[in-house]
Amino acid sequence: MAHSDPEYDDHGADDDEDVVVRGRGGRSMASRPKGRAQATWEAAASRNWELQEGADGSIEGVLGGLEEAGKRKRLLKDTTPLQRGIIRHTLLVLDLSDAMNEKDLRPTRHLLTITYTIAFVREYFEQNPISQLGILGMREGLAIRVSDMSGNPNDHITALKQLRSTEPKGNPSLQNALDMARAALYHTPSHGTREVVIVLGALLTSDPGDIHDTIKACIRDRIRVRIIGLAAQMHICAEICRKTNGGDENYYDVAIDEVDYRQQLMAITTPPVLRSTDTEAQKNNQAALLMMGFPSRIVEEKATLCACHGNLTRGGYLCSRCKAKVCNLPATCPTCDLTLILSTHLARSYHHLFPLRNWSEVSWRRARQKGSTQCYGCLSGFPPVPAQQEVADGAEHDQAFARTKRAEGASESSRYECETCGNHFCIDCDVFCHEVVHNCPGCQSRARLPGAQGDGEANGG
Amino acid sequence: MNAVDATDRGAVQQDVEPPSLLTIILDTNPHAWALLADSLPLSKVVANLLVFINAHVAINHANRVAVIASHSERAEWLYPTPTQPRQQHDQANGATHDGDGERADVHPPNDANKYRPFAQLEHALVTNLRRLMTTTTAPSLSTSPATLLAGALTRALAYISKQTAALPTATTSTQFNYSDPSSSTAAGGNDLNTDPTKAHTTLGLTSRILVVSVSGDLADKYIEIMNAIFACQRLSIPIDVLKLAGDPVFLQQAADTTGGIYMHLATPQARAGFLQYLMFAYLPDQTARENLIMPAGEGEGVDFRAACFCHKRIVDVGFVCSICLSIFCEPLADGTCLLCGSHLSMGNYGRNPAVVPKRKKGKGKKRALDSGADTPAGSGGEGTPAPG
Repeated sequence: MAHSDPEYDDHGADDDEDVVVRGRGGRSMASRPKGRAQATWEAAASRNWELQEGADGSIEGVLGGLEEAGKRKRLLKDTTPLQRGIIRHTLLVLDLSDAMNEKDLRPTRHLLTITYTIAFVREYFEQNPISQLGILGMREGLAIRVSDMSGNPNDHITALKQLRSTEPKGNPSLQNALDMARAALYHTPSHGTREVVIVLGALLTSDPGDIHDTIKACIRDRIRVRIIGLAAQMHICAEICRKTNGGDENYYDVAIDEVDYRQQLMAITTPPVLRSTDTEAQKNNQAALLMMGFPSRIVEEKATLCACHGNLTRGGYLCSRCKAKVCNLPATCPTCDLTLILSTHLARSYHHLFPLRNWSEVSWRRARQKGSTQCYGCLSGFPPVPAQQEVADGAEHDQAFARTKRAEGASESSRYECETCGNHFCIDCDVFCHEVVHNCPGCQSRARLPGAQGDGEANGG
Repeated sequence: MNAVDATDRGAVQQDVEPPSLLTIILDTNPHAWALLADSLPLSKVVANLLVFINAHVAINHANRVAVIASHSERAEWLYPTPTQPRQQHDQANGATHDGDGERADVHPPNDANKYRPFAQLEHALVTNLRRLMTTTTAPSLSTSPATLLAGALTRALAYISKQTAALPTATTSTQFNYSDPSSSTAAGGNDLNTDPTKAHTTLGLTSRILVVSVSGDLADKYIEIMNAIFACQRLSIPIDVLKLAGDPVFLQQAADTTGGIYMHLATPQARAGFLQYLMFAYLPDQTARENLIMPAGEGEGVDFRAACFCHKRIVDVGFVCSICLSIFCEPLADGTCLLCGSHLSMGNYGRNPAVVPKRKKGKGKKRALDSGADTPAGSGGEGTPAPG
């Protein structure tokens, strides 16, 4: 996960020397020192004063560069195609104990968690359309069931909305929650992932037995636990995450503020990278080639009974194999037991599997060579290439000038080049194509690319 | 006095219709148009499209149009005219951006009887289309029979995204917060239920895409087309599809997923009414469509078949790798996924339906009788042809 998570990359990239201790010391096992020098957010605030005026006394160029660099930094993630767990089974465990009444996150931890969790549920099913989610709560030392494992986001959202009116109470119990999660994930098929995400506001866990036994049982069941702390680091949380994730310490983090909390929660919606040990385990468990049907929707003149519920409906989907009518997808055909799914459900996750390659920055020299005057995607103009003789005078001068003028990470010529098709794009199209469309407009607009022989692999494959 | 002024201005702002950007993707695949030449030649379609475009521009003076040709070996802008890279066109006009038709290479003839924006648009479009056709060479035609719809869709989306972001009133819109997910409470504009309503309430640019399609074979760009469709869905941009010929599978899914209109003009009689279809079905915008009833022939089912990754066939029953979800049209020979390389067992392939006798050969029926639903997993992989 750490390889592809933009958030972690961010922190690696903007690590200034003066920031000795980061607020999110999630990766170090030591607890957060009391007299910490500077938190991440403090560093970010102070950086505003480091702006330097450009040579001509204006700061616009610097600001523009900073903005572009910020946009781009989010993008620069590892695009090596990794094997990811697309069929996920996730249990979200919410803390519903006394500690959630704290108001350090506005309006309260409890209400903010519910708001964010609703957003999380939507994003989760957007990113993982054929996955399952369930929600548990920890209250008064017990684990309670908020919503059952299901693939329907509305079930969870309704349950979460009802949670709003309840009052957090008592102590949380990590052991009870893990045990309940383990039971809920027990029957899930072996080709999917088993994940538990815990949001913990309290600084204690009141357990009926030895939690280490539970951790061992979780490891045996291939359950991966992630914890987001809302207060401070706890040793037991770090231990749970480390042990259930094969020694990886990146799965426990403490949210420093609302924005950070949201980002951490949303980062979980990206399908997790499968570890080689998982792959081993899956080989033993026989990763399967599943036969699936992609039924088409029909509309009928007269209502007929559906095979799944026996209701009278005027439309539905016909099983591709036996032509029985089911009213909702995804489903298993009640007659012939074929898995029926909408092809659009599957297709939604393909961009995780075939990510678009990052585009590179373009130097003035390259820009002149290509003679690009406008963005290939949106037809907006680029700043003109400086006159020929100015650069002929001294290329180094030009380079140095550009480097001081533009922030790190932003292209000096405001152009970004797709290395496959060689077209130049603006920063907006760069962000848009990588985050929303996951296609390169240039690669897709040419049947044969200059230099590239294959056509199917043009999209970063 | 001041108070009167202020209220007036507010009222005017409320009444004004949001500008609308109509992006038309014209499939100019020469192979397909050659087949249609008898009933509906391309020239007639372009003439009709121009009438349609003019109507769209005339509805609201702030309305905008973009036209992209999805040709056989490239996707190219027809309007606005892109500037050429400098080494090719030295004498091209100096001004680079702005995307107005005025910057076309040659200025339109001065016709006093024509509304100037119409004339410019028409001239630019026809000039660019002619250039596209003259630069199409015979060898390139013979090698690529399909059309590059994925590229055209992606370019259209990039353009729409830029135009929407550039419009100052659109900054409040929740549609484009993908670059700053922390700024809004909606999950990146993902919520399918709330997004369309939000799009209506904001005064930003409302965009839609109209695809005039004649080609059938799109399966080799399946992933890219689906990516573009999901992007449209995220940004709540409806894709309207007017299909004149060919196999409809993915475009029908596109229209269904994004809430656009899909129509297939299958007969020459229907095609003769091309302009009528355009004007009556595709001209009204999203808000007006809520109050209109689609012409008969709609309300049919939607074809949700997928394209397999191995042979680019369109299948309704496929084999899906449980690791990477790639679709194959037949069981893999050596049990190794072609994409992710994982070793896959054949699961329960070959198991027979409990009730319905198998469509293929009698062999399956016998097995169903003696072993019921519990046929051993290994026995199925022996090269039985895939159904469908």
